[in-house]
Amino acid sequence: MSASVLSRSALLAAASTRSSIPSAVRGLASVATSQAPPPTPESKAPRVKKFQVYRWNPDHPEKKPYMQEYELDLNQTGPMVLDALIRMKNEVDPTLTFRRSCREGICGSCAMNIGGINTLACLCRIDTDTSKATKIYPLPHTYVVKDLVPDLTHFYKQYKSIKPYLQRKDPPPGREILQSIADRKKLDGLYECILCACCSTSCPSYWWNSSEYLGPAVLMQSYRWIADSRDQFKEERKAALDNEMSLYRCHTIMNCARTCPKGLNPGLAIAKIKKELSLGHS
Amino acid sequence: MSLFRTTGLRAATTARFIAPTPRIAAAFHTSQKRAILPVGPQVIDGTVNDPAPVPAPNPTHGSYHWSFERLVTIGLVPLTIAPFAAGSLHPITDAVLGATLVLHSHIGFQACIVDYIPKRLYPKLLKAARWALNSATVLVLYGLYEFETNDVGITEGVKKLWKA
Repeated sequence: MSASVLSRSALLAAASTRSSIPSAVRGLASVATSQAPPPTPESKAPRVKKFQVYRWNPDHPEKKPYMQEYELDLNQTGPMVLDALIRMKNEVDPTLTFRRSCREGICGSCAMNIGGINTLACLCRIDTDTSKATKIYPLPHTYVVKDLVPDLTHFYKQYKSIKPYLQRKDPPPGREILQSIADRKKLDGLYECILCACCSTSCPSYWWNSSEYLGPAVLMQSYRWIADSRDQFKEERKAALDNEMSLYRCHTIMNCARTCPKGLNPGLAIAKIKKELSLGHS
Repeated sequence: MSLFRTTGLRAATTARFIAPTPRIAAAFHTSQKRAILPVGPQVIDGTVNDPAPVPAPNPTHGSYHWSFERLVTIGLVPLTIAPFAAGSLHPITDAVLGATLVLHSHIGFQACIVDYIPKRLYPKLLKAARWALNSATVLVLYGLYEFETNDVGITEGVKKLWKA
């Protein structure tokens, strides 16, 4: 009985101290770390990690892009690069600009180039080697809107051009269109794509010819509809890719499969499209 | 100030919050000298809600071209081995090998031209490069014809070079 009273008073005390701290800082991961520091012993040495972040401000187009350095104590920061970025923005430099939404690798907003690899900041652990700085750039070969925000307009326009929805010639049956388990299995590894553009912007062919070549992400989504047993416009979809630029600028470089933060293989999907176009069956 | 004491930030970094002073940590290559083929501003056809234009189907430069390229590549393997494996030399085998080699390299260089000379930015340069490649291919084919008819031929030539 006395033990429970004690614990309750301790809880109340903890709650009152927490509310006394001003909550000026608002954010996702950094709230817990900045308002209630973890009970680390004072003897624990700070692990100061350097981050070099690409900065460019459209309000000052005469100024060239530059790398800005930030220092954070890893003991006080969440494990992922997105945690560090949010902390930088909240506590060090509010002008730092980047996209983020779900912080769990399902929205694809925080795609950027971290330590030379295109990935999602929310799925990328901070390299705990504090002797080296982590470099963060926007997605390579994209037109930058500001700092780490790339312009993906053309990428989305290309996605729209492959008609990413079910197309039927039969009149709608008035109920759901059924699919066998084997046919559904063909879509595994294709439907999980979140269109973060990590693969397309890692592809040298897409760097050189992004205006005409569709790129791995859009081609894999195209195959997702070619492989779908319910879709009845397979031939039209294949004909739309059967030209010099849209599909055949893929030279099987495989950067796409290597960089995909979701572990998918766009290169394999593109190879299957090529095979179907060549052999003429599905 | 009490806010920042708990954040584990260094004093220097905290001071930057009040007056951010950018530190240039690495050079970024945007100088005009390095930009050999400058990309230029972004071009968006139509509005942001229009799909990107879909080109007309053209299997000659698409799937047929790809299949032909693979056939030539695979065909080169037995053609290269055959004269050495058989031990004897037939002028027709040699001529087919020569023609296939030239075709194979023509397709390879063609891919380089299409990849690295974008049509939208350098249409005239693309056309010039394509014709330069075509004439080079014809020239090499003629040279090989002379080599086959008036000299020893490819296989024998390689053999001689190997033993030289």
